[in-house]
Amino acid sequence: MRICAVVLSILAATQVMAQSDTLLSMEEVVVTATRQERRLGNVTIPVNLIQRKQIQQAGSLRLRDILQEQPGIQLTSNFGTGIQMQGLNPEHTLILIDGQPLVGRTSGVLDVSRIALAGIKRIEVVKGPSSSLYGSEAMAGVINLITENPTQPLLEASLRYGVADPDQGWGIPFKRNSFQQTEADLQATYFIGKLKVRHSNNLLFADGVSFRPFSQDRIPRPIHRITHQTSIQQNLGNRAELKLLARYNQDRFQQEFSVRNNGVTIDSYGRELNSELNIQPTLFFRISEKIRLHTRGYLTSYSGDQKLRFVQKPDSSYLDRFEQRLFRIEEQVDIKKKNYTVTAGVGFQLEQANSTRYDALANQKQNNVSYVFAQWELNTGEKWISIWGARYDHHTLFAGALTPKWSLRYQAKPNLSFTASVGQGFKAPDFRQLYLNFTNTVAGGYSVFGTQDAIRVINELNRLGQIAELKPDFTKLTSLRPEHSTGINVSMQYNPTPTITSQLSVFRNDIQSLIDVRQVATRTDGSQLFSYLNVNRAFTQGLETSLQWQIHKNWSINSGYQLLLTGDKEEWEQILQGKEYVRESNGSSRVMNKKDYIGLPNRSKHQGQLKVKYEDREARYVFIRLLYRSRWTVANSNGNGVHDVQDEYANGFAQLHIAGGLPINNTISLQAGIDNLLNYQDIFYLPNLAGRTVFITVRAKFEPKQIKKINHH
Amino acid sequence: MRIILLAAAVLLAITSCEKDKLPKTVDQRAYAIETIGKITTVKNLPADTIIGTNSIGQPVGAGRYSFFSLETGQWIPNADSNSTRWDLAFAGTTIRINNATSGPGAGGAFVFNGTFESLLSVPTDSVFRIDNHPVSYAITRGSGKAWYTYDGPTNLLTPIPGRTLVIRTVTGKFAKVEILNYYRGGQTPSATAPDSIKTRDQRFLHFRYTYQGNGTRQF
Repeated sequence: MRICAVVLSILAATQVMAQSDTLLSMEEVVVTATRQERRLGNVTIPVNLIQRKQIQQAGSLRLRDILQEQPGIQLTSNFGTGIQMQGLNPEHTLILIDGQPLVGRTSGVLDVSRIALAGIKRIEVVKGPSSSLYGSEAMAGVINLITENPTQPLLEASLRYGVADPDQGWGIPFKRNSFQQTEADLQATYFIGKLKVRHSNNLLFADGVSFRPFSQDRIPRPIHRITHQTSIQQNLGNRAELKLLARYNQDRFQQEFSVRNNGVTIDSYGRELNSELNIQPTLFFRISEKIRLHTRGYLTSYSGDQKLRFVQKPDSSYLDRFEQRLFRIEEQVDIKKKNYTVTAGVGFQLEQANSTRYDALANQKQNNVSYVFAQWELNTGEKWISIWGARYDHHTLFAGALTPKWSLRYQAKPNLSFTASVGQGFKAPDFRQLYLNFTNTVAGGYSVFGTQDAIRVINELNRLGQIAELKPDFTKLTSLRPEHSTGINVSMQYNPTPTITSQLSVFRNDIQSLIDVRQVATRTDGSQLFSYLNVNRAFTQGLETSLQWQIHKNWSINSGYQLLLTGDKEEWEQILQGKEYVRESNGSSRVMNKKDYIGLPNRSKHQGQLKVKYEDREARYVFIRLLYRSRWTVANSNGNGVHDVQDEYANGFAQLHIAGGLPINNTISLQAGIDNLLNYQDIFYLPNLAGRTVFITVRAKFEPKQIKKINHH
Repeated sequence: MRIILLAAAVLLAITSCEKDKLPKTVDQRAYAIETIGKITTVKNLPADTIIGTNSIGQPVGAGRYSFFSLETGQWIPNADSNSTRWDLAFAGTTIRINNATSGPGAGGAFVFNGTFESLLSVPTDSVFRIDNHPVSYAITRGSGKAWYTYDGPTNLLTPIPGRTLVIRTVTGKFAKVEILNYYRGGQTPSATAPDSIKTRDQRFLHFRYTYQGNGTRQF
């Protein structure tokens, strides 16, 4: 009888979940965790799933908008908008589109405000080291954007207009200072015989805002963006399928600005043009029911072009160009047996870059990577799943990297499960760390050299008598090694009632041989020379919780929280030995206590979100999201080089977003909302956070088959 | 009743906060010197404060040192620069000692890594350095070298905590000095303060010292 009740309640739970889109249905299929389709309720590592519907209902335009609403993800504001997962730097999260990496990072940051969400079906966020499947950069985790498939003929168009006014707090269109955003979106799916085609076009025009009086270039810039995406699918008989994804994105920023420095005004005209292309052919072939082959090709290129012209000195214009290309070919085989599943693959990758910041723009830099990976999944009875995996990457430029991973899932009860995983991640040194050859003539004339050039260039300068001092770190300059991390994640999933799902996870990452910039020499004119060394060891740890609750058939709550603690291990040892100091309020020094230590800068200890949604059967909805992030250190204000409680912080803040929508008829729906209702702004430390923005979206959707059916009635 | 008590407590807290906010009678931005026990604290000693900008727009001072005697606790007139009346001379981040290329005295200095309080005596094997103006100084100039760090992005200069300057005075006595702050009023401006404030308020030194007049190495 009891068993029957349990079964019934499970059935009820599945039904409720199937009905409700607000609860993350455990029946949803995800691919990123294991490189093959798998139920979300059956993964062995932490995965967050963001569905198209959630993206649309939140009114999100860009990847940045939706990621900032996710638990355990913090945004950073240097070199575009970067993401921190589990407290690791933006360069340690791999961002994929249909499983293939996006390139074009600035100082390690892939700007997530660059990525339009048009044509994206869902986003999978995998936390914890995932290099055993994805190779370099997947130290903190992986964000995989899954594109829409051309499943049925469709025509969809939407137009969104948003406006913010930093002075008034309410958007008043066409005022001098209003910050207007217009986005147009057009998606079309059609079939030509057996060929299925989907186009997705997105245009964004946004104003810049100039409200920062003291300095330049930390403001949202006026942007024109075009994103085009085409997916083509063709079945080749019963066993094979061919898919092609082509995506092009272009950002153009143009602005004139004046900088006043010590009474001297410099007028400048700046233009930036970033272009990105991804082409991804995939051939899927089913040899038998149990064996499947995936052949994937990938070509991506990114170019960033910046021009800055000083009006007063037209001949002294500044030019910066960066190009990156990546070619990849990969073969993956999945073998499914009764008690085990094997996924294995082999691939070759060629990566090239040119930059004005290397020795010469014309000198192409290249790195070849060959890799092999394998994963073995064992199902022991109904309760246990364990997955063993490893990947080996061989680089032509530096040492190879072997990254194993082991994960486990235990279904203790139908409504209670535990997962644990331990894995390694790595990040290969990037081209900048190898080849940068950059001298900043404006700010004190310092130079930074990549390690491939540093020793040669500095020895040459020394021979010419231009070096005043070689620092101890100069002798440590050698070939850079990849950065390595070991991550542990342990989670519990518990559904106390059919309408509540909850999760509690703890994580710890230990990072070795982090690459940092160090001064290696001083020139005779006093200017500093820097290069890159594998020096730091750091850790991040914390816990993450989430709760989804369907309160009523129309009401649901979704909340998340992350506690994050970080530290530099060298600094921590210095503190334990009493070799770090802080100041008393009267200015005198004292030995630093463990309690004073904050750890790595630019990280919030607490972060959370509370989302409440009302949605009825007629698809009318109101979606309210409250996001909170506690204070974070921004500057070392007591001179000890270590981040502690006496340092300067950016204030903790809350953002409130509200959006609501309703269908007008079968074709047209409306959405309106207010982002950042509390109008929180911090022009210094959150330059990309626009003030209170009021927006309205009109969406039209034509589904030929549906229309026909309706006419028949 | 409880609510009334609570309200009263809150009111009390508010009023006492108000009291703290009342302006203090002492001008926190003026030059001042104060001795409590063995420790003398100097506030807002101008050290070649900014008077304008040079041809490339960098803020500059008049090139004028402030001379200070640790023995007498006096700010010495510039007319006595070439005398043995002073121990330390301050201009911006440069600190000179009265010896060799800087003056006629027997001064010397080195930097001790540790708190002011923890330095109870000058070790007998200490090596005192002297100035070789303008090439090098007993107290090395430069960010992160002797007593300060300078951060380019925030344009702020901060004394490093846990750095104590050990001084051999002009007459061969010993003193220990800790630089406390570099800005007028003894408060480093916020990182987000405009450059005009950072420029205007810099080069006002705050430091504390203990001078041992009896010729021993003990403080």
